[in-house]
Amino acid sequence: MADYNGPILEIDKLSISFFTQAGEIPAVMDFSCTVMPGEAMGLVGESGCGKSTVALGVMQDLGVNGRIVGGSIKFKGRDLGAMSERELRDLRGSEIAMIYQEPMASLNPAMKIGKQLMEVPMIHQGMAKEEAYNLALEMVTSVKLPDPARILNSFPHQLSGGQQQRIVIAMALMSKPALLILDEPTTALDVTVEAGIVELVKELGEKYGTSMLFISHNLGLVLEVCDRLCVMYSGEAVETGSIEDVFDKMRHPYTQALFRSIPLPGADKNARPLVAIPGNFPLPHERPPGCNFGPRCDYFEEGRCNKGDIPMEGIEGDDRHDSRCLKFKEIDWNAPIVASAATEVTEPGDVVLKVDDLKKYYEVAASALFTGGEKRVVKANETLSFEAREAETLAIVGESGCGKSTLAKVLMGLETASDGDVKIRNLEVSKTPIQERDTNTVASIQMVFQNPFDTLNPSMSIGAQIIRVLEIFKVGNSHAEREGKMLELLDLVKLPRAFAKRMPRQLSGGQKQRIGIARAFAGDAQVVVADEPVSALDVSVQAAVTDLLMEIQRERRTTMLFISHDLSIVRYLSDRVMVMYLGHVVEMGATDQVFAPPYHPYTEALLSAVPIADTSVQKKHIVLEGDIPSAMNPPSGCPFQTRCQRKDKVAGGLCEKEVPPVRMLEGGHQIKCHLPQEEFDAMEPIIVLSDVAAE
Amino acid sequence: MEQLTWFGAPGAIFAWPFYIAAGLFFLAVAASLVGYFGNVAAAMAGADGAKAATAKISSLAASLAKWPGLVIAAIIVLYCVLSIFYGAQERGIAGNVFMRFGPVWITMIAIFAVSIALKKNLGLYGKLFQSPVGMIGFALVVFWVLTALFGAFDMIVTHDPLDQIARLKNDPPGSPLPSTEDGEYPWFLLGGDNLGRDVFTRMVSGAGVVITIAPLATFFGYIVGITLGLPAGYYGGRLDTILSFLANLILAFPVILLFYLLVTPEIVQTGIPVFMAAVFFIFPIVFITVLLNSRYKVLPHIRNPLLAVVLVLAFWLYLSTVSDTTRNPGTFLDFFPSGIDLFNIPGGVLVVFIAVVFVNSPTIFRIMRGLTLDVKNRDYVAAAQTRGETPWYIMLWEILPNVRGPLIVDFCLRIGYATILLGTLGFFGLGLPPESPDWGSTINAGRKLLSVYLHPAITPAMALLSLVLGLNLLADGLREQSLKD
Repeated sequence: MADYNGPILEIDKLSISFFTQAGEIPAVMDFSCTVMPGEAMGLVGESGCGKSTVALGVMQDLGVNGRIVGGSIKFKGRDLGAMSERELRDLRGSEIAMIYQEPMASLNPAMKIGKQLMEVPMIHQGMAKEEAYNLALEMVTSVKLPDPARILNSFPHQLSGGQQQRIVIAMALMSKPALLILDEPTTALDVTVEAGIVELVKELGEKYGTSMLFISHNLGLVLEVCDRLCVMYSGEAVETGSIEDVFDKMRHPYTQALFRSIPLPGADKNARPLVAIPGNFPLPHERPPGCNFGPRCDYFEEGRCNKGDIPMEGIEGDDRHDSRCLKFKEIDWNAPIVASAATEVTEPGDVVLKVDDLKKYYEVAASALFTGGEKRVVKANETLSFEAREAETLAIVGESGCGKSTLAKVLMGLETASDGDVKIRNLEVSKTPIQERDTNTVASIQMVFQNPFDTLNPSMSIGAQIIRVLEIFKVGNSHAEREGKMLELLDLVKLPRAFAKRMPRQLSGGQKQRIGIARAFAGDAQVVVADEPVSALDVSVQAAVTDLLMEIQRERRTTMLFISHDLSIVRYLSDRVMVMYLGHVVEMGATDQVFAPPYHPYTEALLSAVPIADTSVQKKHIVLEGDIPSAMNPPSGCPFQTRCQRKDKVAGGLCEKEVPPVRMLEGGHQIKCHLPQEEFDAMEPIIVLSDVAAE
Repeated sequence: MEQLTWFGAPGAIFAWPFYIAAGLFFLAVAASLVGYFGNVAAAMAGADGAKAATAKISSLAASLAKWPGLVIAAIIVLYCVLSIFYGAQERGIAGNVFMRFGPVWITMIAIFAVSIALKKNLGLYGKLFQSPVGMIGFALVVFWVLTALFGAFDMIVTHDPLDQIARLKNDPPGSPLPSTEDGEYPWFLLGGDNLGRDVFTRMVSGAGVVITIAPLATFFGYIVGITLGLPAGYYGGRLDTILSFLANLILAFPVILLFYLLVTPEIVQTGIPVFMAAVFFIFPIVFITVLLNSRYKVLPHIRNPLLAVVLVLAFWLYLSTVSDTTRNPGTFLDFFPSGIDLFNIPGGVLVVFIAVVFVNSPTIFRIMRGLTLDVKNRDYVAAAQTRGETPWYIMLWEILPNVRGPLIVDFCLRIGYATILLGTLGFFGLGLPPESPDWGSTINAGRKLLSVYLHPAITPAMALLSLVLGLNLLADGLREQSLKD
């Protein structure tokens, strides 16, 4: 077995179905791929496309309802389907290891880290205890965790999310597997932490020569990690090939549409808007005949594309580059994007929202049982000052714990400020909780929520929910009038009027988010706080929802506060950007200013961490160490000093002593940093477009 | 009239096929059980081959058990159908009991036919008909509910539950009456009890008592628990601490002792149970007022008339319930003119009712509080907050409807517990009057002669068992189906 030279994993014409009360539901159809030793294969697709099912199929762990109905999976030349339960058990965890999305769910919360790690070689190789401990220590060191001995002696809940995921990786590598399956390993983590994990995975892959199956919905991430990729759509692989071929010479309309719908550098909301993929992802039992992508495809040809099953076909001249499209030889792949009507730049108007020296502190009792004990103060927001004008989009960027949600709560009136002013059109509201605000004030500032599956009351029809909002905002005088207004709102968000009678569970994520938007604009809001409105949506739907939001904003001249951690989308749609870290605004300015040097060191790291799905982009590589400190226990001095990559450039340890002052640079660009001016002047841009894409 | 046999003439036809089928059935079940445990043992020992072999035996035996089972079911159905064509004397005890329940069977068939035909459009209730367990549970529960309903209209009972015929004291099932008057049913179908009353009739009337008190008391417990649990979970803080502490205090008290205290005549005379009733019955009024007010607050032209009508009705019912001329004549609780006093609840029933509400509500409070804590962090709750909804609207219209699944399941289980609690109370002779036909009291009465005469105690015991089993199966089915999508 040791001198096996062929492919590590060969999947040939694999079909997997789930059998439910409603009958057979095909989840994966005719899927083939090969992973060579040391190769990293990316599986990309939207939720429900079957990429995780493929991974579970490889592990032969499909549950009670799932079954492989066709094709074969060979691992090192041996058919996994023909193996007994016992042989599979020996293979899993030792030859094939899997890393899941949620690190906490993969670790046993009642067992110390060290014991969990040592179990792997002790069970699979019968290794002695001391030997296993030493191996565990070595592995924890190699996943770059500080103080390995202490980590081995702690319980999972004592570690942060990023540290937990590193432990899971260490556990997967304990038995030096030949194949590592990673199912969205960084989706639950923050961007700067994600960057660290991605770098680690790449390094370890090279170091141990492990083959990888990397499952992700993020094209940028796949570009960074993988050598080859396979794009999946609705249960089928639609295009597969090397990274360069698929990214630069795509030969399937879905891949092309996918790339056009994600905000790459160069896209602009006015001049070059995103092209959304029309329609919705088909449900497994409602797939169209012929090409699954047919109904949403620009090149669809009646009578040909919907005629029968379409096989994968190789593309001549490229290395193992296949496409599942009948027409790929006819389509002019270099044709320029049909510019979907460029719009004029809207001029911002008067200041609508003015925040001055806003502070929000929480008091947390040290012990919940006996009050009167020591109290700790959590500084969620620290001296925030900014303005937002009419028809302007202000993006608030930051990772978890940066205080952006607290800011939203204070603006909405769900919390009152500890200090400072918030003025909406000259009305001071920072100390007025929402119960004491009058209807007009409440209606004038509204919110769009992040999770589409959570934003609507599941037991109330869509129409009733919107009418309720109208009732609360005292819009309309009779029920009939409000019903008419509700239907108009459905028109506004481009949903059919028949949806008024539907229940939220009958809607897709994107449609629910549209209802959320309709609800926010029901009372003619002047300020809309959008809290990551598209981050939970699939890539192909994101563009459509973003465009809708922009269009309504443009029409109604609404001020939008766009909270996000995704810098690509922020660059695409915002006029001004505010970067937050641990309750502080570390940088603020117009979008161009923030995305170009000089940067705050945190912005610099953030820009470098965000994966960009474009092969022509050259990025400078900065990986931050450690995790975001807890707001309960913030570092002294500058909040960012514990992870700052440029801290050594400031003399006298000033960073650890004092919170830096706000520095005004030209054009209203603010940075909160101790770095000397020369350092700022010497900064180079993080993202550089090579010539091809720059023009 | 003569003594009835158990299965009469139609029974004689099926006797041998039935014995054979039953024998085979038990053999097959035993084999599949042996196979199953062998399977488990083999899996523990890690022997793959042995595991496969025993698994085969187990599944084979299970499929073998199916056939005799079906034959048994078919024989039962055939027997029931056949007994329709025989005279009362020939069809035996079982046939006559089946015939007495005639209206119940007809209604049940109608309910099942309609429900299965429309199951696609009936939501969770419709989905219940996809789960065999749920259907069996539902059938048992519906059977007893209908029995209680028709029993109240004297459609099933054969005699008066309190009529005594001294000659039939402790007589076995199927005993004929010594002398039959015109229109009187000529047998004691399930025998007579120690006072010469008809056991069958008392079981059916007992269903009426149990089926009214247990769900109603549970329902009131729910209203109290929800009204207190929602704000405790939603607001948290000091309110939560105080209410949770009180709930724990009640829960920490031994239930049976609490009952003894509540129903002791001395305590009843102080009026404590009646005052507690006065407090508990306020909760539904508060609940419905807050429910409607929070929903229609922004639409005063709907709210004002609606609340006025509802409140007048609710208070009328409340005062009718609380005020009672018979119980405390002359006290301040006897204030409502008897002309408009709708009904009086007998003292014993009221005490039992209050006891069940009192011990159930703290548990429901805790369930509700936990569910609220879970749901209050959802975005739709935040969305309601950001549009300025009142807290009570959020609790009652945004949170409560979305936790209905676990609450419905728990409601079914809890009716079962309440039924058992009623049985326990009756068994101890607490609360309800001694001649009451409720199942707990009759079991207690029959207990004394249990070693000599089995039938007076076993009949209500089986009734109690089947109802509680039905409720538990129904809850299981509901839970299983509600988790499915």
